[in-house]
Amino acid sequence: MAAAKTPLLSVRNLEVTAHLRRGDQNVLSNISFDLGAGEVLGVIGESGAGMTVLSRAIVNWLPAPLAVTRGEILFRGNNLLNMPEEDAAKLRGKEIAYIGSDPTTALDPTVPIGTHLTAKLMAVKPEMSKAEARQRIFDLFDAVRIPSPKARFNEFPFQFSGGMMQRVMIVDALSADPALLIADNITQPLDVTVAKQIVRLLNGLKEDFDTSIIFVSSSLPMAMDISQELLVLQQGKVLERATPQDLISNPQTDYTRRLIEQVPRIWEVDHTPPASVSQKPILSVQNASKTYHTKDPDKVFGTQAVQAVRGVSFDILEGENFGIVGESGCGKSTLSRLLSWIEAPDTGDIFFDGESISAMDAKGIKNLRRQFQLILQDPYTCLPAHKTITQIIGEPMVIHKLAAGKALKERVAEVMQEVGLPDDTGNKLPFQLSASQRQRVNIARAMVMKPRLLILDETLSSLDQLEQARLLELFDKLQKEHKFTYIFISHDLALVRRACSRIGVMYLGRMAEVAENEELFFEPRHPYSRAMLSAMPTLEKNRYDAATCLLDGEPPSPVNIPPGCSFRTRCPDAIDACGKVDPKVTLDGTTQVECHLFE
Amino acid sequence: MAFVLSFLLRRLSQGLVIILLVGFVIFSLLRIIPGDPVRMMVGPMASEEQVEEIAAELGLRDPMVVQFGRYLFQLSQGDLGKSFIKNKSGASSAGGRESQGLDNKANVLDLIISTVPFSLQLAGLGIAFALLFSIPLGIAAGLRPSGIIAKIAFAISSIFVSLPNIWLAILLILVISTNLQWLPAIGYKGFSYTILPAIILAVELSAVIVRALSSSVTAIMQESYVQAGVVRGLSMGHMIRHHVLRNSSIPMLNLFGAQLGGLLLGSMFVVEYIFNYPGLGLLTINAVFQRDFPVIQGVAIITTAVLVLINIIVDLISAGIDRRLQY
Repeated sequence: MAAAKTPLLSVRNLEVTAHLRRGDQNVLSNISFDLGAGEVLGVIGESGAGMTVLSRAIVNWLPAPLAVTRGEILFRGNNLLNMPEEDAAKLRGKEIAYIGSDPTTALDPTVPIGTHLTAKLMAVKPEMSKAEARQRIFDLFDAVRIPSPKARFNEFPFQFSGGMMQRVMIVDALSADPALLIADNITQPLDVTVAKQIVRLLNGLKEDFDTSIIFVSSSLPMAMDISQELLVLQQGKVLERATPQDLISNPQTDYTRRLIEQVPRIWEVDHTPPASVSQKPILSVQNASKTYHTKDPDKVFGTQAVQAVRGVSFDILEGENFGIVGESGCGKSTLSRLLSWIEAPDTGDIFFDGESISAMDAKGIKNLRRQFQLILQDPYTCLPAHKTITQIIGEPMVIHKLAAGKALKERVAEVMQEVGLPDDTGNKLPFQLSASQRQRVNIARAMVMKPRLLILDETLSSLDQLEQARLLELFDKLQKEHKFTYIFISHDLALVRRACSRIGVMYLGRMAEVAENEELFFEPRHPYSRAMLSAMPTLEKNRYDAATCLLDGEPPSPVNIPPGCSFRTRCPDAIDACGKVDPKVTLDGTTQVECHLFE
Repeated sequence: MAFVLSFLLRRLSQGLVIILLVGFVIFSLLRIIPGDPVRMMVGPMASEEQVEEIAAELGLRDPMVVQFGRYLFQLSQGDLGKSFIKNKSGASSAGGRESQGLDNKANVLDLIISTVPFSLQLAGLGIAFALLFSIPLGIAAGLRPSGIIAKIAFAISSIFVSLPNIWLAILLILVISTNLQWLPAIGYKGFSYTILPAIILAVELSAVIVRALSSSVTAIMQESYVQAGVVRGLSMGHMIRHHVLRNSSIPMLNLFGAQLGGLLLGSMFVVEYIFNYPGLGLLTINAVFQRDFPVIQGVAIITTAVLVLINIIVDLISAGIDRRLQY
């Protein structure tokens, strides 16, 4: 067999079956494709299309009850599926490397990073000495831009952020110069700016390493960024294979067209986002801050101050949809706890309808709670498992003694109808409901008391695009009928673009910018807003180029906040003053920005 | 190292409070339950006046708080008091006519020091037997939770946990000591006298260790980093040796701190009594029968201190194995 003509990887008629009690079910059927040396193939599809199963099948890591039932996976012409174990062991980690979607569980948390990486490198390359292996890893830490590699080498996995950990896993995968790298949804758990950096990094590395990559992603724009060709999977079958340009301009199937349509559009939208209706603030946050104290093992009886929210001020106007966006660790969840008064702020105050909440007594706050309700992200854990849906939805009415008996029943039935829950769900238990139905139960429970303000903390994040759209419609309808004010707290820029009239951008416990929807997406003022927009995976041409708007590096830890402007360390526009003076809020009507460039 | 220092300072001061509380509970319970120690000392023939005289001399008729305060003062000088019953010569003199006053009675501390080495030897051998038996069995069972070894391990630990130690002790004495004459059983005249009681302890400990170890090994094997390690190019043997065993040692250590200390002490008392083994347990049980307050209090305080220390050491080692525990 001529080596030049044999593709590096050749999957032939692969079939993977789940052996379930109710019978066998095909998860992958008749998958065939080739991958040449140095090529990058993107694999895309909706969740559940079998993308992860395919990548796991190639590295022979199918969890029970999944098993390969037919076909071949040829690596340099040798079938991986019936190869003797000692030959397969020689390929694993050395020739074929795999990076999964959850880097935080990929390494034993009790052992330092460096030990993991050198052990692996020396296992697959026994000819390497320990010193050589260490040096190789230091070099690669530099290549993936992990700051202070020598110190981080001795740190433990739990001390790394998700993005840094994914860089570590890239180092681990590439250290042995593999011929094939399988990147299975590696950007999925990461924030947009970090995900963008990882893809940019991998794009640079693929040149240096001459590695073929299978890049599995549920994000079409992300896969397009790096791949020469894309393979579209639907329910375990290959629908089409094309270059990114061809796929977008000339999709062959409805499914592909739908995938393309589902990619959120930020700038080329044909609908106008809702506008504020009133100038009267319903909720007014004034200089609120919250610091948590955790143990510091490096000091005797020491504690660390985690500054989660650092003095934010903004108004939420009656009847508007206010969005709060930011990446993990920016303090938006803490802010939602303050807004819903689960916790009181350390300093500052929040006014509801002009009344200071901190001045109220417990009874006053309880009464006030009828006016604002919080709806959380996870529809699975926030419903009591052993109560019926009717009981769950009616409970707030019982707590506040608003209705009982027949009146309660009628009110619950009314609300259930409003949120679109079928009548027969009333006597069911939460586990009998789908995720979106549960989320509707959450919404019904929140609105049963006819509140004026609903705080939605990542409420739509766990739902797919279609269900998100349906719930947004529902929110819209409810708002028109009941004059609700919404606060959408989310990491998803596309969602707030669609749903909100005004948006606040949070960074490291501060409100970097508050602006009208159009203004934020077309004329953002704060450099961080621009950086976040530039990292958005979109199919349209991004108005902001990541190369100029997005610096490397990650947000500093809320324990060690740099002096001056906290975004300075990642800001491409930083000036002298940024390192010394913390910028103040510059107000302009209902919009505000915290940046020296606008003072 | 700052962690170790603040950890030790915090836990030692907490431990001191625990010891004081246990000391006070034991101290007051002893004085509430029926049974007058002075009557035990002087015997049934002594008159009521004699009893009252000695009781007053020993301070037993003072208010309890005063007595406890006096005891704490002594304790702070390292003095656990003197036995009511035991003579310096080692003989018990309950009911004896010459036994008035405490002048020739044994120091509680000396009594404890003279018996502790025997108990340590017994406990050490018992734990060693238990570990030798349960570590290989527990790991093998945990690695293949549906395999034949796991079923055998499950059966063995079920049987072990349900064997009453008194019954097993008597059976072993009868079979191994009396009939087969392989090992001596009663009293102590050399190392071989420790083996049989240690086996009884080991049986009881093994039941718990095998279960705990196999379930924690099984749980760690489910962690995604174990399979991921194999995909990364490491062998399963490497993953087990370097990661599975390391991580499953933490629940094992906690088991030692939280449960085995108590279990060991509890059954050691019974076993020492059955085998008439001259350790701390036998001393304590005899002291309870004879209402020898100072000995009971001394043993309670020393054993509490040992348990507190074991727990501190166990937690310190755990935090060294898994750094996340330092936060």
